[in-house]
Amino acid sequence: MAIGTDRYASRADTLLFIFCVGLSIAALSLPDQWRDPLAQGLQESVLAPFIFLQRQTELLAAARSRYDHVVEQRDSLALAAAFLPELRSENTRLRGLLGLSARLPGGYVSAEILHQPEPTSPLSFVASAGRRDGVHPLSAVVSPEGLVGLVATVAEHSSVVLSWAHPEFRASAIARDGSVVGIAAPHGAEGPGVWLLELQGVLYRQQVPAGTVIVTSGLGGVFPRGIPIGVVVGPAGEEKGWGRTYLVRPAVHPAELSHVMILTNPRSAGADLRNAFTAPRDSAAPREAPPR
Amino acid sequence: MRRTDRYRYPVIMTLLVLLHFTVRSHLGGDRVAPDFLLLALLIYTIRAEPGRSAAAGFILGLLRDALTPVSFGAGALAHTLVGFFSSWAKAVFFAEHVFVKGCLFFAGTWFRNLIVVLVSGQLQSSQVAWELLVWSPLQGVTTALVGILVLWFFRGWLSPRRAGGGILRASGVGGGAGVGGGMST
Repeated sequence: MAIGTDRYASRADTLLFIFCVGLSIAALSLPDQWRDPLAQGLQESVLAPFIFLQRQTELLAAARSRYDHVVEQRDSLALAAAFLPELRSENTRLRGLLGLSARLPGGYVSAEILHQPEPTSPLSFVASAGRRDGVHPLSAVVSPEGLVGLVATVAEHSSVVLSWAHPEFRASAIARDGSVVGIAAPHGAEGPGVWLLELQGVLYRQQVPAGTVIVTSGLGGVFPRGIPIGVVVGPAGEEKGWGRTYLVRPAVHPAELSHVMILTNPRSAGADLRNAFTAPRDSAAPREAPPR
Repeated sequence: MRRTDRYRYPVIMTLLVLLHFTVRSHLGGDRVAPDFLLLALLIYTIRAEPGRSAAAGFILGLLRDALTPVSFGAGALAHTLVGFFSSWAKAVFFAEHVFVKGCLFFAGTWFRNLIVVLVSGQLQSSQVAWELLVWSPLQGVTTALVGILVLWFFRGWLSPRRAGGGILRASGVGGGAGVGGGMST
């Protein structure tokens, strides 16, 4: 069409305009039975490609939104899966605690360990049971694997536990078969040796083979007899005096615990718990197959 | 006039139609997002005669009415009026200035919505007020902004040409009817 000075509102333009307005008014006054088929016909013919295009665009946008949602879910699951081994370990430990509670003669209370981020946390930690729960000082603290420590101080709702790794910890110990007697104490106050125990005061004439299971002897009235302490791994070094010292791999490491049981019955100190605990395992062996 | 000039308008119109059915739903609410189809009509009316603009508006409005059959015919009437008066007013008053064209896009959008709202009679009084005072101006602004963007982006294609083939530069004053001689649509 030509654009020029005659382009606005010629007679033909006006007539075409009036014609279109008339058609529009006619469309406005169409009855429903005519209007709907006409609209449907336009949708299925002229507008069909555009409706299809719009639908595909919406599907694409929805697919992208769903993809983002799936990615978020995958990331959340990956994060949750990262904690799965820890949850499995905790679950296994809790099941062990349930089994131990069934085997103990009575007088115990379950407590959570309130771990702290300090590196000395395994030496002494706070347990979530206190005087109100029946805990008293020098109560034995155990886990399904064996001896954890003893209660040092007690508050109303919590208590401080000295683990076997604490330098002041001592326990009267004996081999499971009763052949060897000694004192279990932490091997060192610093360095990697702090996570091993010593079996001190063994008679010089006695040889303790590696793999011997050491349990509490029940002497002294603090720990009941038969709580596993650890497994002998070998001599501690050059012999001095008339006694021998052996290195003992502990039955349980305080840092890997989340729950413990505190023996609250004073009479349990004289009990024999040898049959209540599972046999200590060599910590060098894998305790649980890692999840794939 | 170059041989390719006759294809430029269809290309731009097609692009705007595709944008309307693909991008528009992702540019915000339906009442605020720019109306690419109306923008295509308004750009067409800048060059076309009022009669053809009215016909194009009628066809566009009728097709849009098919998508919203409740007010069937209202869109056709509204787009017919917008197409005719936009072309007529552009020929009589408007200069080749991008701001003036932006105002044309804004006014065309608002006027189209006004006619649709009044003729369809589907909205209550408060809804009409909200539509005409809030949503329509917002949609007019977004449509005008997109229109200015399109005109700027395709300024080489959309600028009116002299009979000798030179491009007329946009100016804030003057112009008016018959400025772009030699352009055909």
